[in-house]
Amino acid sequence: MESAGPSPHPSSSGTSAERGFKKAILRLVKDGPERLAIEAGQIDAIIDPTNGNCILLPAAQRALIEHKVGFRSLIGLAFDWYWQQDEQYRFVSHRGAADEASGFGRDELIGKALWDLAIDNMSEADWQSHRQQLEWRIAYRDLEVRCRDATGRVRHLSISGEPLFDERDAFTGYRGIMRDVTQRKQTQAGLSGDPVGVARAILDALDTAIGVLDQDGILLSSNQAWRSMGTAQQGIGVGAEDGADYLALCEAGGGHIDGVAVAAGIRQVIAGARERFHYDYSRGTGLKRRWFELRITGVVPDAAARAVVSCADITERRRGEQLLVLEYAVVRCLADAEDAAQGLKSVIRMVCESQGWDCGRYFCADRSAGVLRFHESWGLPLAAVEQFLEKSRGMAFKADAGLKGRVYQSGQPLWVLGGTQNADARRDARGARDAGVSSLALAPETGLGGTFIFPVTSQDGIAGVLVFSGCGVCEPDDRMLGTVQVIGAHLGEFLQRRRALDALRKSNARFRVLNELASDWYWEQDTDFRFTEIVGCSAFGNAKFLGMTHWDLPNVVPAEAGWAEHKSQLDARWSFCDFEFATVDADGRQFHYSISGEPIYDDAGTFMGYCGTGLDITKRKRAEIALRESEARLRARAGLSAD
Amino acid sequence: MGRKNGGQETPRPASAAVVVLVLYVTDSGPNSIRAIANLEAICEEHLNGNFRLEIIDVLEYPLRALADGIVVTPSLAKVSPAPASRVVGNLSDKSGVLRALGING
Repeated sequence: MESAGPSPHPSSSGTSAERGFKKAILRLVKDGPERLAIEAGQIDAIIDPTNGNCILLPAAQRALIEHKVGFRSLIGLAFDWYWQQDEQYRFVSHRGAADEASGFGRDELIGKALWDLAIDNMSEADWQSHRQQLEWRIAYRDLEVRCRDATGRVRHLSISGEPLFDERDAFTGYRGIMRDVTQRKQTQAGLSGDPVGVARAILDALDTAIGVLDQDGILLSSNQAWRSMGTAQQGIGVGAEDGADYLALCEAGGGHIDGVAVAAGIRQVIAGARERFHYDYSRGTGLKRRWFELRITGVVPDAAARAVVSCADITERRRGEQLLVLEYAVVRCLADAEDAAQGLKSVIRMVCESQGWDCGRYFCADRSAGVLRFHESWGLPLAAVEQFLEKSRGMAFKADAGLKGRVYQSGQPLWVLGGTQNADARRDARGARDAGVSSLALAPETGLGGTFIFPVTSQDGIAGVLVFSGCGVCEPDDRMLGTVQVIGAHLGEFLQRRRALDALRKSNARFRVLNELASDWYWEQDTDFRFTEIVGCSAFGNAKFLGMTHWDLPNVVPAEAGWAEHKSQLDARWSFCDFEFATVDADGRQFHYSISGEPIYDDAGTFMGYCGTGLDITKRKRAEIALRESEARLRARAGLSAD
Repeated sequence: MGRKNGGQETPRPASAAVVVLVLYVTDSGPNSIRAIANLEAICEEHLNGNFRLEIIDVLEYPLRALADGIVVTPSLAKVSPAPASRVVGNLSDKSGVLRALGING
């Protein structure tokens, strides 16, 4: 621990009153180290030798006052009262932050011992034990007593104390703290005193409908959600009142719900044959369809209650699952599609069937013309739907107009509620309101019922829009909007990939056509210059020539020496053009060919072989030979004539 | 600062002479707090546990202070070994304290 430095010189600090005070006390001390220390500010107090009084210097006074204020503040935070008792355990001091309002004023305590107060929760044995603690001068904690205050209210107090001794180690009494724990005690009593009430409050706070059955399947009790669900006619027997035969209600359920199976499952749980029974079902159709989850859980056999029935609305969860399944199905179907049309149609069908919509159409963006052109569709096999789709064929809409144009431009989905919705919904429909036209007028664009339009996106931007129509179209939630965004992206990527593949296919086809026009056959060779492919050649198209080099071909002319230059070109990996060679058939006729080729390398730059074209130049060669022979004859005749 | 008996026992080796000290302070007075801190540092550094220190709060035991002839606080009194000596102030003058206690610093 570091030594502290000397205090600043006292005569230079403090008020005039303090300086006067200091002068007075300096008279009490003689010259010497005490005086020097006072003047140096290193003294807290002076003891008056005449009477032993301790006189505090101003700085020490201030420090002590601050200390007490801080201590009291802490006391106020930590507990309600501070008390002190004399050696006969009578209260001599009692101070608290809430003295007046607490009902425990000084008059109630001062001069009395704890057992003199109107405490009614301590028995004779308890008091004896406490007195023994006091006799043994033991500190005690959290002694809880119950008594009535000045106003007659019941109060619970928690008391802690420690013994006091003087300088001669003589016992002088106790001091301690006291806390009012009345509220805590009342809360505990409330919870422990009425377990049924608390349990009912908890049950009523739950959103899940809860009913409790006895061994005969009679409804013993139910919560608020159970009654509400019954009012909405949504549960299996839910809503039955206390005392009703729940099993009979289940069996009479009807509709597509197997009430008999439900009742049988409940009986098994009640009998202890199974711990739980679970049944999911739905009610309503279209927009009003909702899904529910029925759970029956067994209760301990000794209780009157034998099973707990819970019924929860799982519509949101089920819709989320459906949308997730739809996303996966779209991805799978696009992966399996053989072409763009098949993929588009399959996706449109999947979305319609998943959401209960009548039909869907895809309008492809034609950027050069600035229109959205009908491309593909799918619909239910209904006359009205087929008629509608037929009318759509060949349609083109301006890319910057109408509902489709709005979706194309903004990249955001849009929906219009159909005629089955109420008039307010139609007025509130975005397209109808902003376009200033009725939904009837929009029918050619929106189709039957409502319409939901969302973009198909790719790396190049928005490729087109998907338009779904039907009476089942409703305002989409966030999950639905997320799903259509995913579907639009997958479809856009698929269409872009297909376009690229189609372009490549066409390019390859064009190349083949050009090749066929410019040459008679196409060939490829490996690194040893042996044929691996020959296409289009009647002379060398036979598979027996695969594995041969050009110079290995039967009856080939020139001989080995003639191929030397060509081989050196190949070894040097040069391209070559119009290298001529010939073959001789059994009749001695020569056939002439011209080949051109270039080396092939893989992506890593490794030599893979050669590829090239070949041309049958036999006719040309024979014509050349015939021409030379004719020329020779003419020369010969001319020479003879000259002679 | 409340002290029940004003005493504070410290362990000591059996063979060395024990230095007995009494420090008179005034509750939580600033110089008293400083004196306690300075004295503890000096004892730890120079006495090696070979001391017995008693701290008396004169506000709680004024008669004891009067009987011992204490005039101001904080004051430090060396009771043994002889000669007895006394230092007043907050003991921030370490060399002076060591001199008074007869310790070679």
